[in-house]
Amino acid sequence: MKGSKGSGTRWIKGLAFVALSMVSSHSWAGLYDDGKVFLTGGVFTVDGAGGGGAVPWATITGYETRDGINGGVGFTYVQLPNYSLNFLGGSIGFFDRFELSYVNTKLSTNLGNVDTVALVASVLNLDNNLGLDPNGSNLHMETYGAKLRLFGDAVYTSDSYLPQTAIGAFYKVNSTKEFVKTLSAAEDKDWEAYMAFTKVFFRYSTLVNLTVRYTSANQIGLTGFGSCDNGHRNCNNDKEFRVEFSTAYLLQKNFAIGGEYQQHGNQQKNKPVDTGDLLAGDGNGGLLNPIVGGLVGGVIGATNLRDSLVQNESDWYDVFAAYAPSKNYSITIAYLFLGDIAVAREQNGLYLSLHATF
Amino acid sequence: MKAFTRNLMLGAALSMSALVATPSFAAEEKTQPILGITSSALEEFGGREGVRAWVESLFYYIMLDNRIAPIFREFGNVERQTFLNTQLEIMVLGGPNEYQGASMSAAHADLGITMAQFNAVVEAAYNACERNVIKYHTCNQLINALAPFTADIVTR
Repeated sequence: MKGSKGSGTRWIKGLAFVALSMVSSHSWAGLYDDGKVFLTGGVFTVDGAGGGGAVPWATITGYETRDGINGGVGFTYVQLPNYSLNFLGGSIGFFDRFELSYVNTKLSTNLGNVDTVALVASVLNLDNNLGLDPNGSNLHMETYGAKLRLFGDAVYTSDSYLPQTAIGAFYKVNSTKEFVKTLSAAEDKDWEAYMAFTKVFFRYSTLVNLTVRYTSANQIGLTGFGSCDNGHRNCNNDKEFRVEFSTAYLLQKNFAIGGEYQQHGNQQKNKPVDTGDLLAGDGNGGLLNPIVGGLVGGVIGATNLRDSLVQNESDWYDVFAAYAPSKNYSITIAYLFLGDIAVAREQNGLYLSLHATF
Repeated sequence: MKAFTRNLMLGAALSMSALVATPSFAAEEKTQPILGITSSALEEFGGREGVRAWVESLFYYIMLDNRIAPIFREFGNVERQTFLNTQLEIMVLGGPNEYQGASMSAAHADLGITMAQFNAVVEAAYNACERNVIKYHTCNQLINALAPFTADIVTR
């Protein structure tokens, strides 16, 4: 008994020592590293990984070299005609080899037609089923990411075409399950994997990146994964390979301009928002018909409303400027061409991102 | 006969220039960056004098940087470093190979240079370009040409 008690104390002492040495400046001084060249870790992406705005690169986040650890926190705000998005997260790079990331994403809608459905649903006490809020519905997703650099070098081997190559994966959990189901998605959480190739061509002061992603995400997962017919029937969540591309031209050692392309699927195309009995009728607008007539004075009928709730998805494009006044922070301003998102058309707008690195 | 003499003279001239271009003491070769470097890079650096001035600025910034200054203070004679680096940079920028120093791997083998220290010199290189009003794009031609030495220099 006495012996086991003694070893228990040793255990606690050992743990305390490990904890202390973790926080002591001395041991961190050995691992902390900010020796990487400006912007070569990429900035904070919407998935949390190091890269451009939307596309994860093969570079490892943070300013660490192969001898240390570095990382940071990022915040991104996007304003679109019918949506606004917040991304808050962080990422850590280990030895310029491995990266872990997390991002918490919130999408707020400003959609009159969806609000109308939500209002009617709440009048009829159906709101629990649809996950909608008459005052503007929200989508919420958390993304966990990991990336491993395999081989090649983006920056230093300027005499070889071999690009820096990395593989990575995300696990995305959408906590607004009912809303995602209403949008006809098959799953509210899923993983995706990618392979990225990055190379800097100093001759032209240009960085080029190609990423291939294996995923079934709708709108990067914000509206779920895969799709179903109305009533959550005939669900299909097959993953596919999608191509992403980004390029950045360096105007200064700490200032780059560029553009990105991200291929999206279109699994929810022409799928109406799944409102169950509310809009289920063919031609008569289901339960909603008499109510909408009273609510909006017959300006639009329930059938028109249903037509306006048909979804579509487009490939994403953006142009950006990234500026790193010091190694401790960077600012990225972009203009996004996101096309059709769910029931809203032509969602183009401004993107502002801050990345603070320690 | 006249044509023969001219050919002979041309041949002699060529072999002489070949002798000059490959001096026996050269211990480092020109790098071969993909896509090459702009042909006017040396001119845009201000020719030989421009490169010399840039190297002087480079060592000014290196000696101000506590991460790397001690290494140069201990192992490098800055005056000699400036002389040899001018030759090296002229060579990699497309000028003649007159480099008289040791190969990059031999010169750095025992120093245990880390990636962070190497990158500190890269930062000093960009600062030197800014100080000498050499355009960023032109500066990248030199970075492009020197980058392949990284594996020879960084040994830790």
